[in-house]
Amino acid sequence: MAKRITIDPITRIEGHLRIDVEVDNNAVSNAWASCTMWRGIEKILRGRDPRDAWLFTQRFCGVCTTVHAMASVRAVEDALKLEVPLNAQYIRNLILIAHALHDHIVHFYQLSALDWVDILQIPKADPDKTAKLAESLSPWTRNSRQEFKAAQDKVKAVAASGQLGIFTNGYWGHPAMRLSSEVNLLAFTHYVQALEYQRKALQVVGILGAKTPHIQNLTVGGVANAIDLDSPSALGMDRLEMIKLLLDEVVTFINQVYFVDVCAVAAMYPDWFKIGSGVRNYLAVPDLPLDSRGTSYDLPGGYVMNGNGGVHPFKTASDKEFRQSVAEDVTHAYYQGERPLHPWVGETEPAFTGWDGDQKYSWVKAPRFQGQPMQVGPLAQVLIGYAQGHPLTRKYADLALSQVSAIGGIHATPDMLHSTLGRHAARAIRAAMLGELAQKHWQLLVDNIAKGDLTVHNPPVFGGEAEGVGTHEAPRGTLSHWVVVKDGKIKNYQAVVPSTWNASPRDRSGAHGPYEASLLRTPIARPEEPLEVLRTVHSFDPCMACACHTFDPSGRQIAKVKVL
Amino acid sequence: MKNVLIGGIGNVLLGDDGVGPYVVRLLSAQYVFEEGVEIVDLGTPALDLIDQISGRDAVILIDSVNVDEDPGTVLSYRKEEISRLTPQVRMDPHSPALVETLLAAELFGTSPADLLLIGICGQSYEPNCSLSGCVNESLGRVLSEVLGELDRLGVEYKKKPVAEDLDIWWSADPGAQVQSLR
Repeated sequence: MAKRITIDPITRIEGHLRIDVEVDNNAVSNAWASCTMWRGIEKILRGRDPRDAWLFTQRFCGVCTTVHAMASVRAVEDALKLEVPLNAQYIRNLILIAHALHDHIVHFYQLSALDWVDILQIPKADPDKTAKLAESLSPWTRNSRQEFKAAQDKVKAVAASGQLGIFTNGYWGHPAMRLSSEVNLLAFTHYVQALEYQRKALQVVGILGAKTPHIQNLTVGGVANAIDLDSPSALGMDRLEMIKLLLDEVVTFINQVYFVDVCAVAAMYPDWFKIGSGVRNYLAVPDLPLDSRGTSYDLPGGYVMNGNGGVHPFKTASDKEFRQSVAEDVTHAYYQGERPLHPWVGETEPAFTGWDGDQKYSWVKAPRFQGQPMQVGPLAQVLIGYAQGHPLTRKYADLALSQVSAIGGIHATPDMLHSTLGRHAARAIRAAMLGELAQKHWQLLVDNIAKGDLTVHNPPVFGGEAEGVGTHEAPRGTLSHWVVVKDGKIKNYQAVVPSTWNASPRDRSGAHGPYEASLLRTPIARPEEPLEVLRTVHSFDPCMACACHTFDPSGRQIAKVKVL
Repeated sequence: MKNVLIGGIGNVLLGDDGVGPYVVRLLSAQYVFEEGVEIVDLGTPALDLIDQISGRDAVILIDSVNVDEDPGTVLSYRKEEISRLTPQVRMDPHSPALVETLLAAELFGTSPADLLLIGICGQSYEPNCSLSGCVNESLGRVLSEVLGELDRLGVEYKKKPVAEDLDIWWSADPGAQVQSLR
């Protein structure tokens, strides 16, 4: 008889990811991913000025503010066929890269490392041995015995107090935890250091965007940054140099710490290269435009069906095939509607009926591309780039595979990336690529300004009715905002966000969404502590709960792990 | 000079959840504060809240709260009460996390000496760009809670002779363009 496990973190009143799995013979036999809150925010935009839409979309999510702002201005620009000056493209690209670097670092260390790292083994570690091990892996200057000892003392103090504080509720001592005490200490020390470097990346967003957490420098048609190399109050050499220093520090952390740690942890859990693949259709959009019209890009996009079925590249970020191929199915989502709808004619009319795994069970719609579920995110981007022979993707993907092979004494191949660990590896690969591109786009901006080009904005002109799509290959994958503009006002607006692709419920044909499919056949050692489920779900970097933040002082925010 | 953060938390697109960002704008429009006081609309932060509160002498947060009280009720919580709550299992890694943030700051030794959360019980959290009547009526009480905490901390502030315009851009009439940015 299959056992049903529900993981439903009831926090505050916002929407949340809920996972239900059935476990049979110590492995997942069925899975449902659902979101517990209605997100009808797009309706607020109808009738508003399209030039303001990004201010509102920036508030969709507290983690991904910048990406929703960017997709929104791009959607309106696409509708108006408006070019974006080179300086504005480079400034936007730098903001997007810095935000992504911050996000990837936080995801690995703060949000998912403790699925693999057992905090309570750290007091047993030998800081000398840890330092020797670290030295063999990386030239990072902060891998000293003193750093490791200080981090170990923090954990010892917490353990001795009897109050685990931030570490309460971890699955410590779980049989699926298998790192040595020294590797646990190494990773935890970098968990502490990571906080400093993610902050430096955010500082770059703040300098260019005028403000964090909500940037203020975007406009439809460009950016609002005044450029004057000699002025301290505008974007001048002082600020540009500061940005360069910050980016260099972040890139060093990524290359010498994050990338290395992901390879080392992966090498020590090689069985997780065989778990968690799921949907092998992948989708990514081109990003980081290199010209004002958006005809060439530094990150390639396209799609792959059935794993190795050949890659179909997208030429532009609003490629015709992409524009025509997206529709949202609500067969298993709490909305009215019979057939899949394209986002330009999309509807968001709620019809809540309660959780029923055979009928409707989620507030997330099921986006489909050519009728198929698609996996999005760094893994999709890396596989699509790799298949196209994109040099930068190949460079860092091959480096990661060779490091995993060397540390683990295994033969790591690109095919192994279709997995839970593959998603972590791909994110580290993407971070290294973005690090190199950060330095490139900084130089492009400085060189373009040095030529005397100070243009940052092309004014929008409205009239008639037009449809537009704005895309961004965000930290969690393909984000698209779809707008219909009529007589200078917004007629319809839909956002198809990365976590909607990945967390989608089943569709009318019964096909699972990527989270659901990835969980099937996952081994479960202890149903009451479903660490293995968390590992795979976290590997996608889900972001569902960004809508509403009411604090719940009753302490009700304990995740419910229910075993039936 | 004290390093003080006054932060409004909440989603301005979800009705009464926008009360935190609303209150920080009220404060900026009506008062001047001594140097070292920073007033921030934090939106709906995740772990980046650690950076916002770390190393401060005192933090005052304004947020909507989910309690079984009448809408418009104003409650306050001190740091010690918040850190006693149990952090959640991270199913969704972006779960907003005041409890986790505070515990993390304690682990890193950067937790502010004082932290006060002023919570307002909301009535509606549906997609909507304005506050409900009872939450609007509670704003005076929220302001006096904030000012009372500043008095307790010995932080100086003055009422502006003429209040500035309130920049509540999200509640602008849908037909209008947001003027404050142009």
